[in-house]
Amino acid sequence: MSVWRSIARRFIRRVISSIPAIIGVVIVTFILMRVLPSDPAVFFTSSSVTAGQAEIDSMRKKMGLDQPLPLQLGMYLRDVARGDLGNSLTTNQPVVKDLLRRLPASLELTFVALVLALATSIPLGVLSALRSGSLIDHAVRFLCTIGVCMPTFVSGLMLVYVFYYLLGIAPDPTGRIDIFVASPPDITGFLLIDLALIGDWAGWRSALDNIILPACTMALFVLAPLTRMTRASMLGVLGSEFVRTAKSVGLHSWRIVVVYALRNALLPVLTMAGVVFSTMLGANVLVEKVFSWPGVASYALDALMASDYAPVQGFVLLMAFIFVLVNLTVDVLYGMADPRVSIE
Amino acid sequence: MSLNRREYLSGSLALGLTSLAGPTFAQDRKATLRHLMGGSVNSLDPSALGAARECYSVTQSVYDRLIGFRRKKVDGQWTFDESVIVPELAERVQRSADGLKLTFHLRPDATWHDGTQVTAEDVKWSLDRMVSAKSNAAAQLSSGSMTKTEQFVIAGPNVVEINLPDANRLALPNLGLPFSVIINSNLAKRHASADDPWALDWLKNNAAGSGAYKVETFRPSEQVVLRRHDNWKGGRDRKIAFFERVIAQTVPEPATRANLVERGDADICLDVQASDIASLRKRGVAKILPISPTNVFTHISFNTKLAPFDNPKVRQAIAAALPYEEMFEAAIFGRGRKLFGANWTGEPPTSAFPLPLPNHTDLTRASVLLAEAGHAAGFDTTFTFATGYAAVAEPIAALIKESLSKIGIRVTIQKVPDAQLFTMQAEKKNLPFYIDTGSAWLPETFYFFWIYYTRDQRWNLGNWTNARIVELVTAARTETDAAKYDAYCKEMIKILAEEAPSVLTFQAAIDGVTTPSIDGFTYHYHRQTDYRDLIRT
Repeated sequence: MSVWRSIARRFIRRVISSIPAIIGVVIVTFILMRVLPSDPAVFFTSSSVTAGQAEIDSMRKKMGLDQPLPLQLGMYLRDVARGDLGNSLTTNQPVVKDLLRRLPASLELTFVALVLALATSIPLGVLSALRSGSLIDHAVRFLCTIGVCMPTFVSGLMLVYVFYYLLGIAPDPTGRIDIFVASPPDITGFLLIDLALIGDWAGWRSALDNIILPACTMALFVLAPLTRMTRASMLGVLGSEFVRTAKSVGLHSWRIVVVYALRNALLPVLTMAGVVFSTMLGANVLVEKVFSWPGVASYALDALMASDYAPVQGFVLLMAFIFVLVNLTVDVLYGMADPRVSIE
Repeated sequence: MSLNRREYLSGSLALGLTSLAGPTFAQDRKATLRHLMGGSVNSLDPSALGAARECYSVTQSVYDRLIGFRRKKVDGQWTFDESVIVPELAERVQRSADGLKLTFHLRPDATWHDGTQVTAEDVKWSLDRMVSAKSNAAAQLSSGSMTKTEQFVIAGPNVVEINLPDANRLALPNLGLPFSVIINSNLAKRHASADDPWALDWLKNNAAGSGAYKVETFRPSEQVVLRRHDNWKGGRDRKIAFFERVIAQTVPEPATRANLVERGDADICLDVQASDIASLRKRGVAKILPISPTNVFTHISFNTKLAPFDNPKVRQAIAAALPYEEMFEAAIFGRGRKLFGANWTGEPPTSAFPLPLPNHTDLTRASVLLAEAGHAAGFDTTFTFATGYAAVAEPIAALIKESLSKIGIRVTIQKVPDAQLFTMQAEKKNLPFYIDTGSAWLPETFYFFWIYYTRDQRWNLGNWTNARIVELVTAARTETDAAKYDAYCKEMIKILAEEAPSVLTFQAAIDGVTTPSIDGFTYHYHRQTDYRDLIRT
């Protein structure tokens, strides 16, 4: 029980210590957006050539930009505290609603990509550690280098070109589900869960088909850090004394590798996976663009291009939150896996 | 954790192989139009502040206006013709002899999407909303002398009158534009509040129209699905629309849009990159629609209130030094209409705008003009363009820099995000010399001049004040005599060519792409697809 108490204490301490960081993020983003040399009120009155100063002014008033900057910041902080992140001009919707609708799409993609990446990189890493210096090791190193060198939009477009355009076996790369097959219900926002819940298996299959290419693209990109980390950590563990002891008492070799070595080697990989997850969530904007994936990253980019303040600020805040959460989760998992960490 | 890479890859391919659905899919697919666009539909109210241009694709079909415009065939392609008014919700329009009263007789059998009848009260409420609500419609309608709710009168069952303070030429055409939608007032009023009497918030996300299509689902900035309104009365020859269903979808990646149309998974796309068009044309699977946007022009403008461009001679010098032919070839591969190289002097031969101006590349003349302006040694300046227009503007900027260096003008090229260029245009600061495009929904010469060459407002391209232009625009606005109107417009063009607050370069042709079975595409002044025009053969 003392382990749990220690974890809970660490958890609470970490939550409290992250609050100033999050407030800092909110203020810095707020100021950064306003330093940009574009006026959103002008941008969003540009679809009409008869719209003049009156329209720009009423837009500015609607956005609260007619107030002095400190007052705007104060009002924004007050709204954020109340859970209101303002309105997006790009989509004409409240930012909270947009983010809640789009976050599951990004999370689902990132989860699937991470699972794919881990399912591929751990065996590959173990394999190259066991056969260190062999042809397999070099082949894995080559694959990782290719994966990390190729920008995601290049690998994404290449996958689309081969599997959709040339071979025609992948569905068209436009969003989360085939428009003609099903219209997803809004339960959790995770299509693979929602469609399974209502038992629409044709739709489920379509959602799965649609997620494969973008998830592969993202997985390919993070293959390198995960595989290399698994390999390095595995090499360290394989050379350690308890493995030698296990070998000397004549335990079956796969049992040594999987049960004793891998379990110990996975700790740094776990940390890495947490970092990779948070990075993927924010940095998958190119994948979202290539596959028309309605996620939060492409949403933030569109808003940034239009210097639409509220969605960008909301997105950064959300990312900060997720980063804190992921770090916490990793810490908790770490504490469970290795009791030494909890004592600190 | 025992799944290895090979198993997982072959598994994913097998899933991909079985993904196509059965015959119901094919049936449904044929009756469905799938439209792809790079931008996105962010409002179902076309006049809402901040509504993107892509919204008009949807709202033109979801709402009716009182009137519409005829289409005509030019070089085998359908294009809009605003000189002939056709009925939409009004089956008849009368204009009084003095031009001060418009009388609309509504179709007695037109119904809203919910089945109730379209009434004169709905029309009056919608017109009142256009001039009263905080939206883009008020400024647009003021160009047609409609500013006050008292001007709109219910004159009997199914009859609405509009009283005008002057015989504005644009009063009637204004009512056929995307902002002038007629709204189901009973439905909208149920969602209005004291703070929002015109239901601006509700109508952004919900439709209350009588048009060819009903909105089935609306996901802002992702996709809109429309279902046909089978009781639609506002159509050409009173026919309902061809497609049962329309999907308008945002696909940000241009290559993907082209691929989808080529493979027949999507039906129409108007924003395909020039490079993709070239390869599509080579493979010859998709149908390529050459579009001549006759109401759009590319211009290079100067800030006429900022030295040295406050001196007309400097502007004329640059107009004589621009490498027109090279720009036309390098930027748009010669595909379009030249707006330079004309041979007239003084009055232009036609009053239509945009038209080719008598500008030629003549560096000797440019040097002389520059010397006369007192800048024989040249000067430094900055040439600006937006990243969104870089495909065209980047080669042009390089050519201008090279050409102007020959007469001693040292140009720094500045590429800024679109939002930033818009801000610079509105502020009229730090923007001495730039390239952009302009367009007008109503292709009347004086209307172009009113928007782009008069008043202290953001769209005044050259930040230019010319008293004679203002007089001419004001006079032309209400002129009913065709000869006089022509004379006014010709004089405006003459002054523009001489004073050169901006230089016209060309009208770039664009290409739409459709699957071979799609027919009837019509180019409209708003530059979006109108689903009511399209059929599958």
